[in-house]
Amino acid sequence: MNGPTKERRLSSRSNSGEAEDKVGATDLGRRKRNASVSEPISVIRTSKRTIYTAGRPPWYNESGEMKEAFIIGLSGGSASGKTTVAEKIIQALDFPWVVLLSMDSFYKVLTHEQHETAERNEYNFDHVDAFDFDLCCETLRKLKQGRSVEIPMYDFTTHSRKKQTKQLYGANVVIFEGIMSFVRPELRELMDMKVFVDADSDERLARRLRRDITLRGRNLQGVLHQYNKFVKPAFEQFIEPTLQYADIVVPRGGSNEVAIDLIAQHVHTQLETVKKSLRKHNLAIAHTGQPLPSTLHVLESSKQVQGIHTILRNRDTNRDDFVFYSKRLLRLLFEFALSLLPHQTHIVETPQSTKYEGRKFSGTGLCGMSILRAGETMEPALFSVTKDIRLGKILIQTNARTEEPELHYIRVPRKISEDHVILMDATVATGAAAMMAIRVLLDHDVKEENILLVSLLMAETGVHSVAYAFPKVQIVTTAVDTHLNEHYHIIPGFGNFGDRYFGTE
Amino acid sequence: NNYVTAMDEAATSENYEDDDIFAEETRAQLKLIKVNDQVRRLQTIIRDRNTSRSEFVFSSDRLIRLVIEEGLNLLPYKPHTVTTPSNTEYNGIKFDRGNCGVSIIRSDTQGEAMEQGLRDSCRSIRIGKILIQTDDESNQAKVFYAKLPKDIAQRNVLLMYPILSSGNTAVKAIEVLEEHGVSDKRIILLTLFTTPDGADTVLLKYPRIRMLSTEVDGVVPNHFVQKYFGTD
Repeated sequence: MNGPTKERRLSSRSNSGEAEDKVGATDLGRRKRNASVSEPISVIRTSKRTIYTAGRPPWYNESGEMKEAFIIGLSGGSASGKTTVAEKIIQALDFPWVVLLSMDSFYKVLTHEQHETAERNEYNFDHVDAFDFDLCCETLRKLKQGRSVEIPMYDFTTHSRKKQTKQLYGANVVIFEGIMSFVRPELRELMDMKVFVDADSDERLARRLRRDITLRGRNLQGVLHQYNKFVKPAFEQFIEPTLQYADIVVPRGGSNEVAIDLIAQHVHTQLETVKKSLRKHNLAIAHTGQPLPSTLHVLESSKQVQGIHTILRNRDTNRDDFVFYSKRLLRLLFEFALSLLPHQTHIVETPQSTKYEGRKFSGTGLCGMSILRAGETMEPALFSVTKDIRLGKILIQTNARTEEPELHYIRVPRKISEDHVILMDATVATGAAAMMAIRVLLDHDVKEENILLVSLLMAETGVHSVAYAFPKVQIVTTAVDTHLNEHYHIIPGFGNFGDRYFGTE
Repeated sequence: NNYVTAMDEAATSENYEDDDIFAEETRAQLKLIKVNDQVRRLQTIIRDRNTSRSEFVFSSDRLIRLVIEEGLNLLPYKPHTVTTPSNTEYNGIKFDRGNCGVSIIRSDTQGEAMEQGLRDSCRSIRIGKILIQTDDESNQAKVFYAKLPKDIAQRNVLLMYPILSSGNTAVKAIEVLEEHGVSDKRIILLTLFTTPDGADTVLLKYPRIRMLSTEVDGVVPNHFVQKYFGTD
């Protein structure tokens, strides 16, 4: 027979939307216990991916430094209405890229004996020792720093973590909820705001009885046994004393509209004050007249390269030729980019029975990452010079109103932290999109010196902006043009690469 | 002089370790592509006896493409100014028409491995073939078949032969081209690997030919074409 504690968690686990492998979206109509990201108002969803039409504006300044995520800690006794409050806060915030993280994900992996105890309904899940606070703290700290995290998925049938994890990235606001979330000082220090959901203990018991008996078909005796043995002592021993750390106490839980409005207003105010605008204009004027950085590598301008450039830049070139010659140039560009990777001596034996002192790539792995849409045009050329390369994608679009780049969609290959990454965009004008993509890679623990930004054509401004913010990123291109016009187009340039390539001009 | 600087740099650096490996005249005509870490890596994969065939073909095609692209740099061009989509003038160049490729086939050892690389770079270029075989009785290289563009005498010729060992076959092929009225100064010989003796044999006889390779070494990967076409 399953114990009440376990059943409660089983049901919450099955609610927790496992289908979302990346930046997931909360279905506000359902109960969420693991981790999820709030759903923006405008969202296009296909079976495989979610595209946000409300993108994420820059979360870093022109030096590439981070703005920290705003963390709301949410605590309160069992069945006090924490989840309802969290969902109401998300609704009231009306803000994209909000992450809801539950402490339930951080239950400890049980030993065989503990597992059997739990099977008998005698293991205390309402105790501080039941949680892996170290992992919890590390995860929350990384989220605060804006980095990508792997959230464990706890399996309540085996009391261990599942093999797969849930990747969370791109939170501007994190709501962290759990009965024990204020217990540890190191967790409290990470929180920008601490909310304690207070409900009368009779009411909590009543709610628990109703939930467990009518919804989960358990008997009164079992629920009361568990309540008296674990839930009530836990509240008195661990949870209630942490009420003193709260900035705000919300009585009556989710039905307290006034409290939720106040919280949302406060978060908005806080976010406004730290917001830094990354206008293209600021980027463009900062570095004029400076010498080009040493991390810039320009493909040797051979006669063929000059000839291909002449064809690409000619406005009368038809699309057939434009596609053909850009592919040819891209292949040369990628061969050049690959030669910039670290290599080591590699001695092989030849069929002629001699030793040959050669070279081989000395890095751990190689990944590609294209910035959609124009960066996608570079993928075939990359495939033609690398075998079996793993490829990620990132969609960044410029908000027509604010002229800021906005992150809309990402898919990053797993375990890329040790890899070299070839980041591709057809052109780099201001550098704003490239900077956002680099920031995303750094947030996924890729080393700055392992990133190669590869582009067919760049403007000096863009080169300077990227190199200033990320001095270790290698910048690789076939030509650097000197000017940007008032629309931030490269002059002389070759027009909008994506439009000419795809025929959407 | 149409040679690009990078090749000259390469020619004077690590690739010619021994100054005496071939005649002085040869040095002036033979150019190597710039050997960076990736080029060296490709050479290593081709050299390695343990390389799988698919890896071998993939790496060979990459190296071939680099040689072809470098060879195309030697073709004549003129200045050409165009207008960009942003209404700005761009001063570029335009390559002349009137080029062709010719691949040398030896039915026993070498095939047309480099043709596709040229076709991928120049979509509609004309490509001729010369089939040469060693005569069993005389042990001499003998021309069995040649199919060339009619107006080849007016064209620049990219002559493709992946592995140059003795140089006798290449000399034979150039004789065929001369018979068709091609001047040796219009011939660019593209190879992947060459021996110093083979380069001497060709270039001392034809001092106006330009030759391009990636490596000069006494030992060349003679298994190249068999492994490339899977006939080993």
